[in-house]
Amino acid sequence: MIRSIRRVFSGAALLTALAAMPQGQGVAAEGRLYPSGPPNGVAYLRFVNLAPSEVTIVSPAAKIVMPADDAHRVGEFDPVTPGVALTGSAQLGAATKPIDITLTANEFVTVAVTTSGDGISLTVFRETPSDFNALKSSLGLFNADKDCAKAQLVAGDSHQTVVADVAPGATGRRLVNPVNAELAVACGGPAQAVPAKLDQLNAGDRYSVFVIAGASGPQVVAQRDEQAPFQP
Amino acid sequence: MDALLAGLTILVIGDSHMVTRDYLITTLHDDLMAQGANVDSYGMCGANAGDWVYPSTVSCGKAERIGKEAPVINRAPSTPTYQIDQVIAKSHPNLIVIEMGDTMAGYGQKDFPQGWIYQQVHALTGRIAAQNIPCVWVGPPWGSEGSTYHKTFDRVKEMSEFLSTAVAPCKFIDSTQFSKPNDWPTIDGQHLTNAGYKAWGADIAAALDQIAPRPAAKQ
Repeated sequence: MIRSIRRVFSGAALLTALAAMPQGQGVAAEGRLYPSGPPNGVAYLRFVNLAPSEVTIVSPAAKIVMPADDAHRVGEFDPVTPGVALTGSAQLGAATKPIDITLTANEFVTVAVTTSGDGISLTVFRETPSDFNALKSSLGLFNADKDCAKAQLVAGDSHQTVVADVAPGATGRRLVNPVNAELAVACGGPAQAVPAKLDQLNAGDRYSVFVIAGASGPQVVAQRDEQAPFQP
Repeated sequence: MDALLAGLTILVIGDSHMVTRDYLITTLHDDLMAQGANVDSYGMCGANAGDWVYPSTVSCGKAERIGKEAPVINRAPSTPTYQIDQVIAKSHPNLIVIEMGDTMAGYGQKDFPQGWIYQQVHALTGRIAAQNIPCVWVGPPWGSEGSTYHKTFDRVKEMSEFLSTAVAPCKFIDSTQFSKPNDWPTIDGQHLTNAGYKAWGADIAAALDQIAPRPAAKQ
């Protein structure tokens, strides 16, 4: 799993977890950021690097380095314990922003790192999805572009709307048939739509399309969602 | 009983409903054999779907029954999980039946853990689909309310409805359609009486008669 984040338990479990840890192909991952999962309920947290250079995420237990290339910039949804404050920081070059976030049970939270005036900005997208379906594909649109007032995910030459009017900092999601559709993100007129390359959508899979501010207008990052397995 | 399943080699896997001698490891297994199928059954107490994919341990036992042999029950307090790839390699099935639901439905939890359940289910069905083996998923029976398992009819219904859309490419058998709530008494809120397991096994076998793939007819 290319985008896996290997894990490190805190406290007494740390050494045991390290000894049992497989050598994955992580995102330069040094460990598990936060403890997770049932029987305490479960929520899912992922980090996404939408900045032009690598980002480091640091928790009390570990740190991971997230490259800025499209194949590695979107992390897996990692199971974490809901109701517990997850703290740490995100670092982009010399700029740092604190992380202090508490998830509710069954919540899927995406923390997106972007550049901003003071060097780094974090956008927290919260979803509690109830559309898991093995017969359909789920398309999510995440708007991390403050200049894109109403992001739209559109499909085909006719730019048929798939997800409409997502405000900056918000997300929209919709189930679609698993087809090979030409997808794009529009912030204004369809003529300025930016392609979102996902190729063939698979039944049962979930996808995220991020819109971010670029030097010459909106840019798009599109990836299939990955969910790290809960392992006690 | 007609040999409606003749020519099929069926691998049945499941949770604690398969880990006691008179449970489905006997009733369903016998019913499928009586219809002409070769059957291997494996059960792991308390196991989630992901436990068949990611090596772990189970703490309340596991059981297996190969063909016409008697069930072998292992009640060791900690024993390695069966892995789906390994049992497939051993049985070479042309149909896999998965009985699972109670261990994942989040009984006692306020919110239905849909995302976590889906991940568990998807991990197992994905591994089976990768081997191009047809599969059928059997959902949980009603059970009883008010036990220490915190099973409720509403959550069983919610779980069954969710599984019906989550288990593809496996087909789905909804066990709540076999009886009405409280029709099948339980011994502990979750596990049925011997009569209940006879009825549940017979109903599953009858449903499989309708949806199981048919081996090519001999010329």
